[in-house]
Amino acid sequence: MKILYSQLKELVPQLKASPQIVGETLTLTGFMMDSLEKVQYQGKTDYLIGLEVRQNRADCLSILGIAREVAAYWGLECRDLHDLVPKIKQPTGSAEIKDKSSQEKIAGKGLTIEIRDKEPIRRILAVEITNLKNKQSPSWLKEFLSFYEINSINFPVDLSNYVMLLTGYPSHLLDKSKIQGELIWSLNKNFKEITTLDNSKIKLEQKEELIIQDQTNILALAGIVGGKVAATDQKTTSIVAEMAIYDRALIRKNSNGLKVVTEASNRLEKDLDTTSSSIAFELLTSLIIKHCGGELVGKVFDFYPQKRKMPVINLNLQDPSSYAGIEISPEKTGQILEDLRFKVKKNGNNLQVSPPSDRMDINMEEDVIEEVVRIVGYDKIPVDQPPKLTVVKNITPQVIKLTDSLKDMLIALGFDEILSSPLIKKEANADVNYQNWKVIATQNSVNEEYPDLRQSMAPGLIHQLEEYVKKGIDQINIFEIGKIFGQINNHYHEQESLGLLTHKSAKEKGLSQLQQATEKLLRTSGINDVRWLKSKTVPTIANPYSCWDLIVGEKIVGILYKLKSIEKLAGSTYFAEINLSDMTALLKHYQPEPTTELTKKIVTLDVNLEFPIGKKQTPEELINKKLQEIRQKISKDNLWSLKIHDIFPLKNKIRYTVRVSYKELSDPQAKKLHSEVFGGLAIIK
Amino acid sequence: MKIDLVKKLKAELETIESLTQLSSLESSYLGSKGSVNQMLKEIGKFPPEQRKTQAIAIQKTAKEVKDLLATKKKTLLASHSADELKNQAETLDLQPPKIGHLHPITQTIRELNKFFTEMGYSIMEDLELETDEFCFQRLNVPPDHPARALQDTLYIKEPNYLLRTHTSSIEARVLDKYEPPIKVVSPGKVYRNEKVNKSNHFVFHHYQGTVVLPEVSLKDLFGTFTALFKRMYGPDVVLRYRNKYYPEVEPGAGVDMQCFNCHGKGCRLCKGVGWIEMGGAGIIHPDVLEKAGIDHKKWRGFAFGLGLDRWVMAKYKINDIRTLLGGNLGYKPFENENTL
Repeated sequence: MKILYSQLKELVPQLKASPQIVGETLTLTGFMMDSLEKVQYQGKTDYLIGLEVRQNRADCLSILGIAREVAAYWGLECRDLHDLVPKIKQPTGSAEIKDKSSQEKIAGKGLTIEIRDKEPIRRILAVEITNLKNKQSPSWLKEFLSFYEINSINFPVDLSNYVMLLTGYPSHLLDKSKIQGELIWSLNKNFKEITTLDNSKIKLEQKEELIIQDQTNILALAGIVGGKVAATDQKTTSIVAEMAIYDRALIRKNSNGLKVVTEASNRLEKDLDTTSSSIAFELLTSLIIKHCGGELVGKVFDFYPQKRKMPVINLNLQDPSSYAGIEISPEKTGQILEDLRFKVKKNGNNLQVSPPSDRMDINMEEDVIEEVVRIVGYDKIPVDQPPKLTVVKNITPQVIKLTDSLKDMLIALGFDEILSSPLIKKEANADVNYQNWKVIATQNSVNEEYPDLRQSMAPGLIHQLEEYVKKGIDQINIFEIGKIFGQINNHYHEQESLGLLTHKSAKEKGLSQLQQATEKLLRTSGINDVRWLKSKTVPTIANPYSCWDLIVGEKIVGILYKLKSIEKLAGSTYFAEINLSDMTALLKHYQPEPTTELTKKIVTLDVNLEFPIGKKQTPEELINKKLQEIRQKISKDNLWSLKIHDIFPLKNKIRYTVRVSYKELSDPQAKKLHSEVFGGLAIIK
Repeated sequence: MKIDLVKKLKAELETIESLTQLSSLESSYLGSKGSVNQMLKEIGKFPPEQRKTQAIAIQKTAKEVKDLLATKKKTLLASHSADELKNQAETLDLQPPKIGHLHPITQTIRELNKFFTEMGYSIMEDLELETDEFCFQRLNVPPDHPARALQDTLYIKEPNYLLRTHTSSIEARVLDKYEPPIKVVSPGKVYRNEKVNKSNHFVFHHYQGTVVLPEVSLKDLFGTFTALFKRMYGPDVVLRYRNKYYPEVEPGAGVDMQCFNCHGKGCRLCKGVGWIEMGGAGIIHPDVLEKAGIDHKKWRGFAFGLGLDRWVMAKYKINDIRTLLGGNLGYKPFENENTL
C-alpha cells in the first residue's frame, strides 16, 4: 500500500512527524515501510511511503485506514469519512433499482437486479446515475492514480479507483445503455470466457466463478475485474454504479484459480467491513455527480442480508503486561484502545471492549492484547534479558543424533558434504530406483523440469560429481544426508537417507574402499552385523556385476554399486546408500560390548567351507547363513572374531576359508571347540 | 703371552668391520677352543708356587680380551643401527590428506543447535511431505485464509498433501505428540512454488523454535533472539523488533538486523532501508495450542522462524542462492593458507 504524505496530513491535520518518522513508526506497529520516495505532486514536493500490509487488515489497504493508524499512535484526531462526502442534490425521481426476488418490478427506465446466488454475497449497493457528462480526468487525479500505477480511463472510472484507494472499497461502473435486461449476480454456469476492460480474454471454468451478467452477456467477474461489454466510454451518459462485498474465500479462490489478481481482488479477499461501505458508496456517487454532473435515479439499492455485530471482548488488564513482559498500566491500555476507536467499558479488573466496525480482524482477547502492545511499541520491551534456563525433557530423536555423528565420521574419512534439491528431473528416478517405489510427483510446480521427488540420493550426488569434474576438481568423495520419497501401497513414504559417492581415475579401484567406509560408519555407530549380498534389484545406472545389498541382520538397509560409465567422465564412480531411518530403528536392538578382558593368547583357526553354485541360493547367501549359524554356536565369551579369510572358485562351487579367532581358551580347548563347531571338517592352522 | 694376546687382538680388531667378522673373532678368543680358554687350561702346567700369580695374570688378560671385544661390538652395533634405520626410513607424503567438509548450511545449523541445546532445547525433525492439516490448519491457517497467499504451495495431491512451506509444521507435530513443557528447535528443508533464479529457489532452509511453558512473554522471546544474534554476529549487532502478522502467533513480531554492510545507512544489500529481515516470531496463537489439545489458559508459548539461506549466503559471501544446492559449491583444499 502506498500513501502520499500530504494526504496523511490532510486526514490528520495535527500530524507533526516527518515522513521518515511516520514510516518508521508504521513499521514498528505492523506495516513495514519498504520504500520512501521523494515525489512531486501538484507541483509540490511530497513523499510516497510504501507499506507492506500482510495482515487481515482490509481497512489498511486504504489511505484512510493508514491515517487512522497514524492518528492512533500519536493520539491525534483523524477526519471522518462522512466529512469527505460532498453535498449533492438528492434524487427526485421515483424509479429505483429493485431486487427481483422482492417481486417489485421497476417502472419506466429503472433497472431490475436479480441476485440468483445469495450465499456468497455480503452486501451489494447499486444505483443508477443518469444525465452525466463523461470526460477526461483532471491532471490531479491522473497524477494521483499514476502513483498507484493505475491508468486513467475516464473521469467516473478514475473516481471509482480514487474512492477505492481512499476508503478501501472497490466499485464498478457499468454503462446502463449496454445492459440488456436485468442485472444478475450468479455463479457462472453458461459463460466460457470473459473479455475484460483491457481486452484480455479469460477462460472460465464454469464452476464457482461469481459473475455479474445481464440476460445475454457476462459483464464482470464479481469482485475481480469488469468486462468489456458494459464498459463506460466518452459517450456514456447513464451508468450503474455498484459497490459490493463478497465471501472473501470465494474471491480468493476465483482470483487464484483464474490467475487474475487486481486491486479489487486484493481487497475483497480480505475481510472488508460491510457496515461502512454505504458511506464509501455515497462518497463515490457524490463525487461523480459533483464532477461529472448527472443525478441519482431513485434511492440506492441495498442488498444486505446479515448485518455484522461487532464482538464484545473481555480483556484482563494484567494480560498486556504479562504478554509483553513489561508494565503497561490499565490507564495506558484503555487510552490506546480508545485511540484505536474501540468502545471501552471498565469492569473490575477487566475491560469490556468492542472494536470499530472496520476492524474485522479483532475477535478475541489476544487480538486486543496485540493492539495494546504494538501501540506501546516493541521498542519499549527490553531485548537483553534472555529467560532463565528452564530444564525440560530432552526429546531429540535418535536419528538426529546419528546423522550428526555420521557427518563427523564422514568428514574424518575425507568426504565433503553437499546438499541438493529433493525435486529432480522426471527421468532421473528411473535410473536410480532400487526399492520398487512409485514416484511421487508435484502437481503444480512452476519449475516443470523438476517435478519428481527423489527416490535415492544418487541424482544429486552424480550432478555434483559432473560439476566438480567439469571444474577440474580431483579427489572427489562426497556425501549427502536427506530425505528420499516414494509411494508404497498407495501410501506416501519418506525416509532419511545417506548417499556416498566416490570417483576414481581409470587406474584406481574404489568399490572396496567405499565398502570399507560404509562399514566403518555402521560399525562405529554400533552395528557390527553387516553383510553384503548381490543385489536382487539393480538400478539401471549400476553395473549389475558390481552391485551389492547392504544387510544388517536379515534386513536390507542399503546398497553399494559401481556405476556404469558416465558419458564424458573418465574413470570409475561408486555409490553407496544407507537407510538411516532403518539404521536408527536397528540401533535400538544393538548393545555393543566391544570391551573385554583378555588373559590368554588369541587362538586363530581356519576351516574350509564349500558351497555349490545353485540357482535357488547363491554361495554368498549360503556362506552368510552359515556364518550366522556359527555365531550362534560359539559362546560370545569365546568368540573374538569370525570372518571370511579367502574365497576360491572351484568347478560348480565356491570354497570359502573361514577364519575363527577364539579368546580365553587354551590351544587344545580352542581346537576342541573348533572341531565341535565344524564337525569332521579339517582344521587348518 | 698376555701382552701378545691383547696386542694381537687389538691389531685384529682394527681390521674388523662387521658384526659377523667380530662374532668369528670372538669365537677364536672366547670360544671353548679359543685362546682365552687355552690359556686357562695351561694354568695347571705351571709350578704350584707360580700358579696363583699366573692365574691372576691370565684372568686379567681374559677380562681385557672380553672388554675389548664388547667395546668393539658396541661400536659396530651403533654404526650398524644407524645404517639399518637409514635403510628403513620412510619419507613424508607430499600429497596432503583429503579432508572432508560440512556444507555451510550444516555448519550454521550446528552453531545454532549448539546455542539452543546449551539453553536446554531439544532438536526435532519431521515430515517434509506434509498434510494440509499440519502445514496450515493446525497453525491457524484454514483453507480459505488469506495468509495462504503468503505461501505459494507445492502440492503433491491437492488439497491434502503438499511439501511443507515452513518448518512450523514441525511445531504442529511436536505440539501434537508431546506434552508441555516443550523447548525444541527444528532445522529443515522447506519448499515453495517459486521460479528458480539468483535470489529465489523452490527449496530452501528454515530454522524453527517452539517453547511452551506456563508463562512466556515477548521479553523472553526478544531476549532469546538477541542472545542468539550476539553469539552469531558479535556483541555489537543491532536488532529491531516490530509488530508483524503471522497467522500462527498473536502478537507477532518481525526481527530485523541492522545492515552489516552499510550500518543502517541504506545500500543495495538492504535495498536502501538499512535493515535486513532475519526472521519472524511471536506468542503462539491460542488456537494453535487448542488444536493440539493444549489448554491455552495453563500454557503459553513462543515460536520463531529463521530463513537460513540468506544468512549463510551473507556469511560465506555466496551471491547466488542456487550455489547452495546446485553444484557450484566448492571447498578449498587449504583453508588456512593465509595464516601460513
